[in-house]
Amino acid sequence: MSTEFTEWLRGRSDDRLRALVAARPELITPVPAHIEGLAGRASSPSAVARVLDRLDRFALAVLETLVVLPEPVGYDALRGRLALALPGAAGRPFRTALRETVERLRTLALLYGPDRALAPAPGVREALDAPAGLGPPAAEAFRHHSPERLAELVHDIGGRTGGTGEPAGRNGAAPGPNGAHDRPDRGGTGGREALAALLGDDATVGRLLDEVSPQARAALDELTWGPPSGRVPNARREVRAATARSPIDQLLSRALLAATGEETVVLPREVGLFLRGGRVHRDLSPLPPVLEGPARDPGLADRTAAGQAFAFTRAVEELCEQWSADPPGVLRGGGLAVRDLKRCAALLDLPEWAAGLVIEVAHAAGLVAASGSVDGEWLPTPAYDAWRVKGTEDRWVALATMWLTMDRVPGMIGDRDERDRLLNALHPDLRTSVASEVRTTALGVLAVAGPGVAPALASVRERLAWEQPRRRGERRDRLVEFTLREAEQLGVTGLGVLAGHGRALLPGVLDHQDPVEPGGSGDPRESGGVRAGTAGELLLPLLPEPLDHVLLQADLTAVAPGPLTGELRRWLALAADVESTGGATVYRFGEGSLRRALDAGQGADEILAMLERHSATPVPQPLTYLVTDVARRHGRMRVGTASAYVRCDDPSLLDEVMADRRSLPLRLRRLAPTVIASKASRQTLLDALRAMGYAPAAESLEGDVIITQLDVRRTEGQPAVRPPVAFSGLEADVVAAAVRAVRAGDAAHRSRRAPVSAPEGRPPRSPSTATVDALREAIRQGSQVWIGYLDSQGNATSRILEPARMEGGYLTAYDETRAAVHRFALHRITGIAGVE
Amino acid sequence: MTDGPLIVQSDKTLLLEVEHERADECRKAIAPFAELERAPEHVHTYRVTPLALWNARAAGHDAEQVIDALIGYSRYPVPHALLVDVAETMARYGRLRLEKHPVHGLVLTSTDRAVLEEVLRSRKIQPLLGERLGDDGVAVHPSERGNIKQHLLKLGWPAEDLAGYVDGERHPISLAEDGWTLRTYQREAAEAFWHGGSGVVVLPCGAGKTIVGAAAMAHAQATTLILVTNTVSAHQWKQELIRRTSLTADEIGEYTGTKKEIRPVTIATYQVMTTRRQGVYRHLELFDARDWGLIVYDEVHLLPAPIFRMTADLQARRRVGLTATLVREDGREGDVFSLIGPKRYDAPWKEMENQGWIAPADCVEVRVTLSESERLAYAMADAEERYRFCATTPAKLRVSEALVRRHPDEQVLVIGQYIDQLDELGEHLGAPVIKGETKVKERERLFQAFRDREIQVLVVSKVANFSIDLPEAAVAIQVSGTFGSRQEEAQRLGRVLRPKSDGGGARFYSVVSRDTVDQDFAAHRQRFLAEQGYAYQIIDADDVLAGE
Repeated sequence: MSTEFTEWLRGRSDDRLRALVAARPELITPVPAHIEGLAGRASSPSAVARVLDRLDRFALAVLETLVVLPEPVGYDALRGRLALALPGAAGRPFRTALRETVERLRTLALLYGPDRALAPAPGVREALDAPAGLGPPAAEAFRHHSPERLAELVHDIGGRTGGTGEPAGRNGAAPGPNGAHDRPDRGGTGGREALAALLGDDATVGRLLDEVSPQARAALDELTWGPPSGRVPNARREVRAATARSPIDQLLSRALLAATGEETVVLPREVGLFLRGGRVHRDLSPLPPVLEGPARDPGLADRTAAGQAFAFTRAVEELCEQWSADPPGVLRGGGLAVRDLKRCAALLDLPEWAAGLVIEVAHAAGLVAASGSVDGEWLPTPAYDAWRVKGTEDRWVALATMWLTMDRVPGMIGDRDERDRLLNALHPDLRTSVASEVRTTALGVLAVAGPGVAPALASVRERLAWEQPRRRGERRDRLVEFTLREAEQLGVTGLGVLAGHGRALLPGVLDHQDPVEPGGSGDPRESGGVRAGTAGELLLPLLPEPLDHVLLQADLTAVAPGPLTGELRRWLALAADVESTGGATVYRFGEGSLRRALDAGQGADEILAMLERHSATPVPQPLTYLVTDVARRHGRMRVGTASAYVRCDDPSLLDEVMADRRSLPLRLRRLAPTVIASKASRQTLLDALRAMGYAPAAESLEGDVIITQLDVRRTEGQPAVRPPVAFSGLEADVVAAAVRAVRAGDAAHRSRRAPVSAPEGRPPRSPSTATVDALREAIRQGSQVWIGYLDSQGNATSRILEPARMEGGYLTAYDETRAAVHRFALHRITGIAGVE
Repeated sequence: MTDGPLIVQSDKTLLLEVEHERADECRKAIAPFAELERAPEHVHTYRVTPLALWNARAAGHDAEQVIDALIGYSRYPVPHALLVDVAETMARYGRLRLEKHPVHGLVLTSTDRAVLEEVLRSRKIQPLLGERLGDDGVAVHPSERGNIKQHLLKLGWPAEDLAGYVDGERHPISLAEDGWTLRTYQREAAEAFWHGGSGVVVLPCGAGKTIVGAAAMAHAQATTLILVTNTVSAHQWKQELIRRTSLTADEIGEYTGTKKEIRPVTIATYQVMTTRRQGVYRHLELFDARDWGLIVYDEVHLLPAPIFRMTADLQARRRVGLTATLVREDGREGDVFSLIGPKRYDAPWKEMENQGWIAPADCVEVRVTLSESERLAYAMADAEERYRFCATTPAKLRVSEALVRRHPDEQVLVIGQYIDQLDELGEHLGAPVIKGETKVKERERLFQAFRDREIQVLVVSKVANFSIDLPEAAVAIQVSGTFGSRQEEAQRLGRVLRPKSDGGGARFYSVVSRDTVDQDFAAHRQRFLAEQGYAYQIIDADDVLAGE
């Protein structure tokens, strides 16, 4: 059979082979030497399992049906059997879908042969253990029975001992291939075949079922739709139909159940199929379930997503700014303390899971990193400074792309691992390899929903269950839930609808909006390529324009009715306190905030000028008063470091300080009418005086006012950025080259053609850069090259090659001189020249 | 991006740009479910609180309308989480209902069994309940109608009270609209209350809350108990009712420290109701003295805690609360909601001013500077004496005098906290002083003289903070106050906001000492008014003195 498959594969056109390796890239890593190798790899258990994982429910059902039916299977028989499982009539969509699916399975080399004799590829039968929940065929199920026991069973159900002659059915209408059991029963094989033939006859099975009690029928019904095996004590009991009493006895004695172990029984496939009324599947849909959910205005959804994208970008920036000044520590096991996460959540005004998402994405994007392994702190990286100055749309694209591709799972923050350790945010183990794939597939599902449809979580899960029936489980379900929740938070979706800019992030997204994709046109990764550039372009017009003005009001607030330009935003953050954020920002001027601005070296005039310049309305008088008031008092007192003194040009003010009882703990001493010295440190003194209601300024040794500013810090550490994994499968030229190589190898393999001898003369020499270029060119054109190569023993050899692919410092090529595919280390290629 | 006037913030505040052409319609659309928090000149701030959403639910709005309004007027996309939260919060109201049952009296029912089970498990709720009636209901002791509503609100499942009201003893009352008519908003307010059954009407000072009360009584046509803040206010109510309604002096009783009359319409003060002797509220019987059909609470934001407790027992009677603000310094807004009722009507100050119902006002802060010796003394003063010291600086006397001289033809009120200071001022200005010890009769004589313009200047202590009607006070000078009370500032401004016969504006001076706690407190107090759109102008005392 394997040779049959190989021959079939060899007979496929190059186009078909290219489609095969493009859809199953694992078959050409590394490139097999010949078609036989390709066939072998295509039927290896791991490769089959991988491709089966990618099948949707209908394609899988087609394959399962094929496996269940006795070979060879005609296309019509296959269709007839599948049609039984359809809930309605077998209409046009079913026929089209089946035709396409069979073709696709052929392309994937999961089934082969012409329509009149379809067969599952080698390895498929083994990979599909219990197809559609059916038990093994009788011939296999009764493998462990002794010939004597088999004879008893055959006798009990066929009515004859020795297994000769026709079964004594009432109507005797069992046509079937009974030749097998016409032969005298000489051993297990014969007995099993006789039994299989009997069970393969519907009339016999129907009669046997009529004989058993209703309880026994109920037991069978339990197993009908799988799982087909059950547990009973003493499964190998030797009971005869005539004396069987208990339901299980009745079933065992009539071979309606087969004992597969001391305590396990299984429903033979033939019986199972009979009970299912000939159907292999209970209900089958050739089309994926339609995505259901509330309908939204797509424009509004886009805008909502854009608003959320803006908010998310801003949250990341806010987080980094906060961590610049006040970084949280790195836990010993890595990660961020729960307390710090809570603080971030409060700071960002987000629920904890969303704050965790902000932190994880910022980390994955390399904007924050641990400053060191011992007593480290989480600090923004230099990359943050580069990110910060970009436009909002670019910043968002950087974050969203990273979210889509990262293996981190922020949703698991707070979970416990197998060893019951808490998984904190930024914990090294807060990851799973399938995270990125689940995110992409889940968003891919949203992408095929109709315009404006916001599919509900249950509907997305149902669709995924149809699209990838073999990839399921609680863990994936959770990841899907996280994905939808996080996509909304990031602004990839808005109101549950995939936004235009979110769609553009997806690899090779289908531009057409067909909500129903019969059978799917293969892997959506085919067309490949991250289109991040367009995501930013789509997002930009949806974002609010940055403003350069605010509205000043008499209650000492400033309202920025939209995002501000960077300079104004930083200035306001210094001179005012933020009261509320969102679409707009509300700032409040107070004594404290203005003092901060004055401390940072701004004068009252500067502040007022700045306000006037950026106010859409006249500066309210109370605000002017507040600024001049604070400025007037600011710096009226000066405090020095060296001796910790207070000096003031106004002696009465110092009188005031000296007279104030609260100054007692500071142990003040009046040095001069305008100077007080203290034994307290400068900071204590400053704080105490401020607490008493004064506004002293710090003074340097030279008598200048010290300008204070918040320390902004950066880590030296490298950001933990991994380049986003390329989404695309294989590029077309790689695929083509691989197929060419296999063909060439195969040709050589089959003809056992003599190795071509290398050209006479010294092997060519050329610089290594030229070598790589020439090889790349040869791969592209599919031409042969002559190279000089140092083999593993260090001998200089000369070869004629047909290069297939080049990666990781190695060249895979068909070696004409050795008539086989080999891998060559690039650094040992001494030179290259064209052939002919 | 749409160009709406509204910006929705992540902390559930709504910013409304006033100059925007759609600002007015937007304000109307969001007012039912958002509390106006601040209304300075350009951008008004509303807040969407659970109470505000439940108020909206009680007024018959649904989540759909709220979300439509938010999305329709918002300039930027509204965060989805916020919309979900709005819908969820609103859905909480009315899941539980208090209803009347022919057999079991008062019952708590629910359409959502899980919610009922949740609240039944609460240890605070359990003692208030009687027997379980099937899956969806439970009997409630009729006396606990108020308590259970309070506790359910705290649990976040406010109950809709559909148990109805007793009609009370009938008493014919009608409005006597001779020479005046009910203003549109007054009629709307009274009707909104009547349809809602019970609730609070929010109107600015000077907008005629007494008349709204009278209109409510005309709706009820029943004996009425009116609770007011103090005796003077009680007299005022009586005068006003006699003038505005068919009621005669004989039908209206006063229940105060001095008089204890119980008539078909009885006006009692909070003070007398909360007087305790030997730990017992002596005047509780008033509530049971008649079969009241309506209870009117004046100045709900000042309602003292004992009255809340008494009100909890009066849930079967119709209640109307009147107030200028739902902001309570003690944060008991939730109790107002569950015990008096949801907000039934609301109109912002500035709007009323624009419509000419209240006088426009200029607010001026005059800053005086302490002398050097005063500053020294101030620095040495005990913390608790500091405010008094700087608030009563003699410099304020001179400034007040100068300010009074600035307005020779207008009626001037000088308001202060400290009696010594007021006496001194009275002496300086040659004006009578009304303070706590002034006899009620004397007070009224002085008020009348002031009204009749026989007296131009009147010095009053905080006894005059509330509910006195001084229609022609055009100028108020505040020299000291109760520390940082925002609410007091609003009340005092209210003294001058009543429409003047000459249609002129009002002026409110606040004299404060520079660089002292006086200034800090003043800033705190003014914040409320600035947020209501009354911008303060700041001038220097020296300018006032030099300007003479």
